Parts: sequence; C-alpha cells; structure tokens
Amino acid sequence: MTDTRVEKYRSIDDMNSAPARSAPPSDFERFLRHCARYWAVAPRTYPRGVFRFRTIEDAQRAKPGRTDSTS
Amino acid sequence: MDRDEIFRVLRAFEAAGLEYVLIGAAAMGFHGLVRATEDLDLIIRATPENVERLRAALREAYDGDPQTEAITSADLLGDYPAVRYYPPTGDLYIDVLTRLGDAARFETVDAETKEIDGARVRVATPAALYRLKKGTVRAIDRQDAAALRERFSLQDDD
Repeated sequence: MTDTRVEKYRSIDDMNSAPARSAPPSDFERFLRHCARYWAVAPRTYPRGVFRFRTIEDAQRAKPGRTDSTS
Repeated sequence: MDRDEIFRVLRAFEAAGLEYVLIGAAAMGFHGLVRATEDLDLIIRATPENVERLRAALREAYDGDPQTEAITSADLLGDYPAVRYYPPTGDLYIDVLTRLGDAARFETVDAETKEIDGARVRVATPAALYRLKKGTVRAIDRQDAAALRERFSLQDDD
C-alpha cells in the first residue's frame, strides 16, 4: 500500500481531503525550496550595502520592488 | 535565496553568540507555514556587544565584507532601530531590528531553539509571531496572522 504511486478517489472532495504523501523534509527545508523556486521565477538585483530606517514601516516601504506578496 | 548562504549565515550567528530571534517568513517556515520571501528578519538584543557580534557574524559569513562596518550600535540603539544589509551575493537581504513599534524588542519576543542541519536557530514562537503580525496594516502580515491563528489554534489574547 505504501509503495503505490497511484491513489484513487470517488470524488474531488475525497481527493482534496486526502493529505498529499511526500518524503518529509523539514519545514524549513520546504521553505528554502519554495524560496528558491520563487527566486528562479522572479530573480532580483539588489543594491549593496547597509541602509538604516527610523521605523519598521519605513523599512517595509523601502523594500526593493515592494509588493505585498513577500516580506 | 540560496540554501547554503542561509545556513552559512545562521551558523555564523550561532558561532558569534549573537542574541537574536528570527521573525518574519523564515520563522513562519520553521513552523511549517511556507511562503516565499527575499529576506531574513531578525530582532537582536540591543546592546553594543551584541551589535558587534552581529557585525562579526556577517563578516564571517560574507568574507569580511567591509560594508558590515556601517552597521553600528549608534544607529541600532539610537534613532535607527531598523537596518537593512544587502550582502555581496545579491541573493537576499537581512533586516535587523532592535525594536518593533513601542512594545516588541528582543526581550519581549518569545522564542524557541530549532535545530536544522547542525545549526541551532532561535525562532519566534507561533504565538509571538502572531502577536507581532496581527496588529499591523500590511495585507501579507494579516494573512500570516490568520494562517498562524488557524494552524496553531491561537486566540486573540495569545
């Protein structure tokens, strides 16, 4: 059972409620892989050096190419 | 964001004895809530000695990058509690905070130690991340707070 690569469901609801099986890398490794994919799709060029801000809000406004999709 | 670079930085933090707490998306990642980010966010203890540890760690991680000398305790303990460092690799940037708003600082952010690939990392707890994010105005923070609340069954008084 555990070797099978095919799973069958009677409905899309059953399929969606079944957890996807995967080898369990750590959560942080999953995070790193996800970021690596993001970087591959949307590479950035950053400036160099150190920048200082009076508030975290100022820092967030100054994020390069800022969108609300990452932080 | 390069895996080896991240681990090099985290190991350098540990080796330097930096007193820090990882917050932001990387901390969320440690807790299984995965989303993309371009930076590492950390709160450090606000002492001159700890700022020197931060500089030492970044010098170690980035081949003595002279830009790290611009990270000063005069700024971080003074009028500039938020400093952004862009390493020479260009693959990510590091946001360093000594205080966040009026309430949050190193001493007030609950953290736990996570071990990953031989590196010990201080990570804000889910409840601490929730407290940091739930009252902010950014949409992404509100989404993070909602995800934390659902995953860890947090309440508004957590």
